[in-house]
Amino acid sequence: MTDSPLSPEVTSAPLGRVVATERKPNTPHEFHFWTALDSPVGIGTIVRVEGALPVNGQIPTIYGIVVEGFSYTDLQTPIHDMLGHDGTPGGASFGATERAEIRLYTAAVLRQLPEEPLQPVPMGRVFLADNDDVAVALRMDSYLRDGANTGIPIGVYRAGGTDAPIYVDADFLIGPEAAHLNITGVSGLATKTSAIEWILSSIFTHFPAQKGSVAAVCFNVKGPDLCFLDQPGPVDEADAALYEKCGVPVKPFEHVQYFAPYKADGYSLNTLRSNDALLHNVSSLTWGLREVLQYAEVLLNKDDVDAKADALIDFIRERIVDRDFSDPLLGNKRYLVRSFADLEQWFRDVLSGLEGKNSDGWRTHHVATIRKVRNRLSNISTRCAGLVTDDGAVSDLPFGSFQDRTVYVIDVASLEEDAQDLIFARVVTRLREHLEKRDLGVNHVVVFVDELNKYAPNDGPETYVRKMLLDLAERGRYLGLVLFSAQQFRSQVHRRVVGNSGTALYGRMDADELATPGYAVLSPAVKIKLATLEKGQLMVRHPHFTQPIFVRFPRPAVMRGRDGAERYPQAVDIDLEAAVVRSLRTLDPTITLGWVQQAVGIREEDEIVRARNATMRERPADVRKFFLSQLRPLVAAQTVARPTTAAVRSAPADDPYGF
Amino acid sequence: MSAVSLTPPASPHASFSSVARALAGLLPNSQSVDSGLALELTTANTQPARLISAAVIEGRALRARRVFEAPVVGFAAFLDGTQQSFVACHLPGGVPIVYGTVGAVIRDRRNQRLFTWRHAVEHRLYAPRANVSSAVWRSLTEIGVAVHDTSEAEASETASEHPHALREAAVHRVQKDRELAEQSLALEWCSREERPLFMDGGISGSERVARAACAIGVIKSHRTLYASGDALVAVLGLGYAERSSVFLVTSPKRASVASWYLRIRDPRGQDPMWGLVRLEVAPPGAGGDGDVGRRADEVSRWILAEVAPVALPDGRWDKMVYGVRDCEEFLRAVM
Repeated sequence: MTDSPLSPEVTSAPLGRVVATERKPNTPHEFHFWTALDSPVGIGTIVRVEGALPVNGQIPTIYGIVVEGFSYTDLQTPIHDMLGHDGTPGGASFGATERAEIRLYTAAVLRQLPEEPLQPVPMGRVFLADNDDVAVALRMDSYLRDGANTGIPIGVYRAGGTDAPIYVDADFLIGPEAAHLNITGVSGLATKTSAIEWILSSIFTHFPAQKGSVAAVCFNVKGPDLCFLDQPGPVDEADAALYEKCGVPVKPFEHVQYFAPYKADGYSLNTLRSNDALLHNVSSLTWGLREVLQYAEVLLNKDDVDAKADALIDFIRERIVDRDFSDPLLGNKRYLVRSFADLEQWFRDVLSGLEGKNSDGWRTHHVATIRKVRNRLSNISTRCAGLVTDDGAVSDLPFGSFQDRTVYVIDVASLEEDAQDLIFARVVTRLREHLEKRDLGVNHVVVFVDELNKYAPNDGPETYVRKMLLDLAERGRYLGLVLFSAQQFRSQVHRRVVGNSGTALYGRMDADELATPGYAVLSPAVKIKLATLEKGQLMVRHPHFTQPIFVRFPRPAVMRGRDGAERYPQAVDIDLEAAVVRSLRTLDPTITLGWVQQAVGIREEDEIVRARNATMRERPADVRKFFLSQLRPLVAAQTVARPTTAAVRSAPADDPYGF
Repeated sequence: MSAVSLTPPASPHASFSSVARALAGLLPNSQSVDSGLALELTTANTQPARLISAAVIEGRALRARRVFEAPVVGFAAFLDGTQQSFVACHLPGGVPIVYGTVGAVIRDRRNQRLFTWRHAVEHRLYAPRANVSSAVWRSLTEIGVAVHDTSEAEASETASEHPHALREAAVHRVQKDRELAEQSLALEWCSREERPLFMDGGISGSERVARAACAIGVIKSHRTLYASGDALVAVLGLGYAERSSVFLVTSPKRASVASWYLRIRDPRGQDPMWGLVRLEVAPPGAGGDGDVGRRADEVSRWILAEVAPVALPDGRWDKMVYGVRDCEEFLRAVM
């Protein structure tokens, strides 16, 4: 990091002088300086000021970042210029002399050395910051020490010829000192998703070994954004240079696992990554009654879950599901409820029993409450069809065996909002539970959630998901559970969620958003720069940086969602046998459609799906044998002998009436 | 050479304070002065307004002549000087000790922008030696700043011991020092350069400068008009881009120069002096062009090219070119 591309002449020559007037004085946190007209200084440039007089025996050095710029001439009013050229703009270009002009900049102080006593910035010469200056100015020197390096490159600071990698502190990005990252910016520039992909690559490359292992769980909430993280994408020369500068290899993620529920048909994966060529690391995500009932609160709104309904749901959860249950009302019939189908049968019997006895209550639960809970719970399997199975089959993330430097993508883009909420709530809760018990398989998990203003809005009703996000933002860092979130409008996200994000990134911003109070601390020039940021540029706020810094980051070395969707088109909807072939081929490529058709024969669709799911869950060595074992044997066809009937007795030969 | 800047700083130069403190220490009987106003602002211009007939050297009579060709950029640099003087203290009897600062600069024009070619700033004390004791004079010389005797001035100027008269004598001496500073820079330019130099004020103060083909003096104040009778009517009636015939300005104490009037802004609805400048160049045969008419047209075109950008907000903007304002701004910053 000591390499500087600048020639010694450029870095050693002052580019400006600090100035201060009574009307515009310098303070300990802000100073002003002027430069030559052709100086390479702009908004976001980091500069170094060398004082002239020693303080406590040390010449003060001040680092600052340019936050505002002014340019003016000695004109007192514009009308003087107009008068001088008789109102003809064309004539102005022939002026013999250009007016005296100044470039005056305001810089916010990043750091003062010595740090005590903290004094107003003195008059002095201003230099362009080189790489070492940038490290000191941003206090990166405190966490880039040999043997205790916790720096994670987040981009490259580029200004006036300086090309310095910017590191954030892993202790403040992943925890435990601070944690979480939030990115905001307008949609359509692919900045937010690209930045997250780049930062994950950087984390996987540079996360310090002494801090343990790290994995990422990404929720793909729209389109094919995260569907091709394991496929290489084009990286141009300029971006390759950024990769090299940051020490991150130019390659896609090596270990990615995809999870997606089925469609309502129960056998086609509900994801844009359903192309046959990419199914090797795609698993289904299906949950049964028990998994869903734990998070019924997510799917039932406040009106549904009153105290009475809540009590009945608790009763079902504690006493019915997975328990051997009998009751005199039910004629002492034994129940083992393991699926929505079992539960529906149980409800039906309870209500029949009540009707038979002409009773309006059972075990303190009113019949109306029972009907309401039955209605709501039964609806879940319909509303979350494809995710929630009637038969109780479970296919889940590998909680307990998470792998280091692996990305787990859960594609919820095509799901209903309820199903998205359910997945989100359950996955994050399970992650937290496992991290608390230290048995997840990794020490740290980064959870990426896009469209945060939808899941944790600033206003609106209190939802389970929002409560969970708040909990994650406020307490996750102690567990190693880190939230990387993104949204278009930061002002519309619950402020405790974004406020707890130690690191904040800003892409190009909408002017309306910048006009909200949350951005009042930024100077007008910085706001304008934010409103016009190029693709690939970010403003970074980090606990170690006293002021926001502008950086460039490279395009992720993965295939863009749009490109992937074109190259690997989504599989067309197919019949059940073809779906089974497609699934089983990921385990055994020799399986053919003919074999499957012969194997399933005339069996019911539910049975075939159950066998396929069981095979995919078990991933057996002998796929054919296991699949067949899951199918109920068919009774062999028997040849039925033609019944012999007694021959009609023929008329006696001597029958006098015979014909 | 040039007029005094009308907008000096409101308070004296910082070094004035240290000089005033030193004087108070060395001259315990002196009385310090709090006034921050420059003497140039409080001293009336005593030069009388007058008309002088001059010998016309272009044609037979002084008349208006149109500058037909378009303005063209000709000047390479601009020279101007300023002065500031303040009473540092009064000795018993009201004798003022004046602290004066003079400065001059040449601003070189490169690629339409002005850069400092050379500049000079000098600080001095001004006191009438004839009106102070030897001990006091010795004390003044111990301050560390050059001391100029204002009683060396002309007898008429020192005749009175009136404090105001003594103060005016000091101001005049400061003015002379400023002219010397300007002349020094002009001489250096003329010895090193051949490119045209725009000098704010006349060029006749120095024989060598007055004979240099590169020096062009531009006078904005017209306390003395070199025309009378019909010639005066012609001069004051000049229209935009019209000049007078060239005449010769001679003086026993100054070098002779060729001169003419030029109207650089449309005077309609304005004062007769509006936009009127007088130019001085080397006379024919003394370094100047033999064809004074052609030379006057050429230089007039150069001057007319300098009307933009305007020198506003300076009150003399109708006659002042931007290069001169730039010189004044520079000196204001460094003095």
